[in-house]
Amino acid sequence: MPLPQIQSVHAAATPATAGRARRRSKLSAIICWPLLIVCLALISFGLLVCWSAVQSDADYSFSRQLMGVAMGMVACMVLWTFDYRKFGALTYPLLIVSVILILSPHLPVIGRTVMGATSWIYIGMQVQPGEFAKVTVVLFAASLLARYNGRLWDVREYCKCVALLLVPFLAIMTQPDLGTGLVYLFISATTMVMGGARPRYLLISLALFVGVIACVFALDEVLKYQLEDGTWEYKLLKNYQRSRLFVFMNQDSLASTDEGYNLQQAMIAIGSGGLTGKGLGSSTQSSLGFLPEAPTDFIFCVLAEELGFLGVLLLLGLYAALVAVAIHIARTCGNLFGMLIICAIVGMWLFQILENIGMCCGLMPITGIPLPFVSYGSSFMMVNFAMLGLISSVYSHEVAPTTGVGYGSSR
Amino acid sequence: MTIALVAGIITAIVIVGLVLVYFVMRDKDDVPGTDAALGSELTNIKVGFDEAEGERGKDVKVSASDDSSKAPDSFTKRFLALGALAAAVFGSLATRIWQLQVQSGQGYQQEAEENLSTSVSTPAPRGCIFDVRGRELVANKANQTVLADPSVATDADTILRLSAVLGIPAPIVRQRIQDASTGAQSQRVVADDVRLRDIAVISEHPDAFPGITTETRTVREYPYGALAAHVLGYTGTPTDDELSQAGFGRKVESTDTVGKSGVERSYDGVLSGDQGERRMMVDAKGDVVAVVAETLPKKGSDITLTIDAYAQGVADEALASQIAPLGDIGTGKGVAGAVVAMNVQDGSIPVMASYPTFDPTYFTGGIPQDIWDLYNTEESNAPMVNRVVNGQYAPASTFKAFTSMAGLHFGFADYDSEWECGGSWDGFGSGDVQKCWLHSGHGTMDLHDGIVNSCDVVFYEIAKAFYDHGPEGTGELSDTALQEYLQSYRFGSPTGVDLPDESAGRVPTPEWKAEQWKNVPSEAYWRGGDYTNMIIGQGDVLITPLQLVAAYGAIATGRIMKPHLLEEVRNGQGEVVFKAEAEVVAEPDVNQEHLEYVRESLHDMIDQSRDAGPSFYQRGLDAAGKSGTSEHTDRQDDAWFVAYAPYDDPKYVVACIIEEGVSGAKTAGPIVARVLAALFRGEAEDSAELEIPRMSGSSGRSVAVKVAGGSRED
Repeated sequence: MPLPQIQSVHAAATPATAGRARRRSKLSAIICWPLLIVCLALISFGLLVCWSAVQSDADYSFSRQLMGVAMGMVACMVLWTFDYRKFGALTYPLLIVSVILILSPHLPVIGRTVMGATSWIYIGMQVQPGEFAKVTVVLFAASLLARYNGRLWDVREYCKCVALLLVPFLAIMTQPDLGTGLVYLFISATTMVMGGARPRYLLISLALFVGVIACVFALDEVLKYQLEDGTWEYKLLKNYQRSRLFVFMNQDSLASTDEGYNLQQAMIAIGSGGLTGKGLGSSTQSSLGFLPEAPTDFIFCVLAEELGFLGVLLLLGLYAALVAVAIHIARTCGNLFGMLIICAIVGMWLFQILENIGMCCGLMPITGIPLPFVSYGSSFMMVNFAMLGLISSVYSHEVAPTTGVGYGSSR
Repeated sequence: MTIALVAGIITAIVIVGLVLVYFVMRDKDDVPGTDAALGSELTNIKVGFDEAEGERGKDVKVSASDDSSKAPDSFTKRFLALGALAAAVFGSLATRIWQLQVQSGQGYQQEAEENLSTSVSTPAPRGCIFDVRGRELVANKANQTVLADPSVATDADTILRLSAVLGIPAPIVRQRIQDASTGAQSQRVVADDVRLRDIAVISEHPDAFPGITTETRTVREYPYGALAAHVLGYTGTPTDDELSQAGFGRKVESTDTVGKSGVERSYDGVLSGDQGERRMMVDAKGDVVAVVAETLPKKGSDITLTIDAYAQGVADEALASQIAPLGDIGTGKGVAGAVVAMNVQDGSIPVMASYPTFDPTYFTGGIPQDIWDLYNTEESNAPMVNRVVNGQYAPASTFKAFTSMAGLHFGFADYDSEWECGGSWDGFGSGDVQKCWLHSGHGTMDLHDGIVNSCDVVFYEIAKAFYDHGPEGTGELSDTALQEYLQSYRFGSPTGVDLPDESAGRVPTPEWKAEQWKNVPSEAYWRGGDYTNMIIGQGDVLITPLQLVAAYGAIATGRIMKPHLLEEVRNGQGEVVFKAEAEVVAEPDVNQEHLEYVRESLHDMIDQSRDAGPSFYQRGLDAAGKSGTSEHTDRQDDAWFVAYAPYDDPKYVVACIIEEGVSGAKTAGPIVARVLAALFRGEAEDSAELEIPRMSGSSGRSVAVKVAGGSRED
């Protein structure tokens, strides 16, 4: 079966595709019911957990989270009704917008630096433009790879793609925000894989990536210098970053550092939930402040403590269903650009889920990556809704009559 | 079971992954109409694809036709990879969470509990202490205490209000609230012994004093002041040493009140009661969230002592007026002293007095530094030492009752033996002349006269007999025959009285002497002079006053009783849960005739004593006893007197020592007579009619000791 090509955009108006639209009911042509149901369930569940998590902490307000959901819904609707294909030709504008967003915290007056990371801007409220850039990075990566019709075998083109995809990562490392940077990288990698890059090149890139990391550590070992108190400090990756990254590797001596203490408390929270949990709102680890940043990065621990293993399975099941529905839409999508958008989003979610839950239970290094649809934070909520809007847009504009963009020419 | 569940869950995850893969494969290889729901969609797609291919010719701008044959295959693979990635992510996360929550959940639950639960103990009131007639010697006094939660330390308004009400400067209030020495979560004592009026102000305005509570705690109160202070002892918080030794038989924390000396110490477990416990939930900052459980403290058991407060008061007063009539040591006669009385029938101790003394009232909140310093000076003469059990003295002539028994026992003296006392004696012919205390000599003496007049020469002769029959002489006796006889009266070993750290005294042996003088070989062997010293209770012999009364009890009755202070214990319901019983420690194997002979001699000693006799018969006492003066080359002699009464039916034996009291009969004798009389009076009369003065502790000061001149009778 031939793959749907970019050019098929123009075929959308043909009688045959119109016939397809006729066979669907009018509503199900624009609403993917499984996606809607899964998302509603996931968002309700996430809000429930978030509500429970913010109860004990006056710094967080549940109504702000609800406002985030409301704004997210608006963003979702806008993107849903917007024909995603119009983004197809905007490869470079998307890159430029991404970079501007990512670098905006460096601007004077509105830029904010919190805990050493210049990641926020203040425009009436504090927002993290790097979060919103995830949307543009997804669109940028998908539109970049969509030009190759699913076959990127030319080494020069491949290198060009890699170079362009690294731009948002390098931009965010100026803040620096390694967590979000890794999300960008994972979006890019998923798009490359799904966009038809030659497997050999991918393997070589992976090897190079590992090599670069090894080089960073090796170079650091050379550049390290001794402080006055006799301890060693590194230049590229500072000690606190190292301790955060590696704390999950030696869990026998957790209590010795702050990170170790956090991880220990997170694991106690999860483990003490048991099979059925302590009941919603009855957590002790998070409500009594043992758990750090309970409503944001460690919200999974709240869920695991209050609802137990069954609650965790419910969450993982909902995520799995979301991913399955999204992959299904991608697979049945008649448009490469749309398929790549969905795959990039799926890759991003998978990475965030793995990293967030993994760090809570000591499988992954601790980085500040929130849990999709659950963690507190209105920007983050809006971004995830925007992603849902994009998926819905791909679904609903599959067959809708359109003039198309014809970005095949922009190659 | 668990393994099956894990397997089930992993299988479920794998199935999810497989379903994903299945969908992907179905999409690719779909045949129209195989599936009602999906099929139609897939068919449409296929139609769409066909159309797209068909249209390609028109719209192709980039030639993709050569890729199209390969692309589907490669995309299927890539979707498979994406599905596998998803399955791997969810599978590994589910497995890990299963491990944490279900397999090791119990351990983590425990850790979570440890995180948040903590407990503090609330002190229990100690039991009270009564004398044998039911008079309260140690009571508990209500002490109004203001307590603050640790969080109040940051509440400036409340601190200012507390400061105004209590009249304590605000910085001190804050400092007390910040003091975490009683435990991070426990409430802090802002002030104690607060006026009830101030307590009312605080407890009636809870809004103005958030986090402040008032509590009625108890402190020890001593209605008679220093009366029997050494018996009662005092209480305080345990030292680090005491905590680490864990010798209290109960869980003791650094903030608890424990008995430090006397019966407070030896019956600490009975008096202490059961602490209350508050189990609390705390948050990460250590703030108390909720009190989970609270058990109320249980007051300790009350104990009744064998002490007779009236006679005890007489003894305390007699010592004080003898040694420090004007308050400071040296204004009377002697520098320190002790009186002890024992009931010879059952071993109970009605009187145990030691001077200088202390008033435990001042020690209730810890010993104040100024008193501690004062009582540790040399001139204070160690007021904290209970000289009855820890004062070790040469027994001097009081020992002659036992050494004459030994002489009779071994046949070195008889009823008709006679010796000539010329005032000095050199029986060993060494040229080292030993003197009788009466340098002019007593003339011809039998053993009875020797005891009555305390003639040393008589006993030197007996000692020489021991020496002559010992290893240096005929070898009939071992070199410890005399010591073993004395040890049968329990000299050299603790009496077993219910007080902590009783001293054992010493009966010297050749072995002991060799060890003691091992660095001076010329002195390290046992000589005749050691016999003559020991037999008159001088030299290396050491006894405690308590050992002396126990042994004189054996002269009076033939039995050595175990002395004891505890009469009975009453629990919280007032039931008697323990009652002391008389315990015979030993019954020395003696000839009754010998005993009668010595008793008569002791009887006559008091009868014929010019110095001590009148004190006894003026009080109507028919007593038998012995004086003693233990000689010192570097200071004044110590004065001893010991007596039991009534002579024909012995009830009490009383011993008194006055350090540097010079003459036993003159200084110690009258005190013994007074105490004996008080014992009989205290027993006979209605306790309500007996006046017991409140005693005060020693001043801690000394003036130059007046040297008493005049004759002595010893």
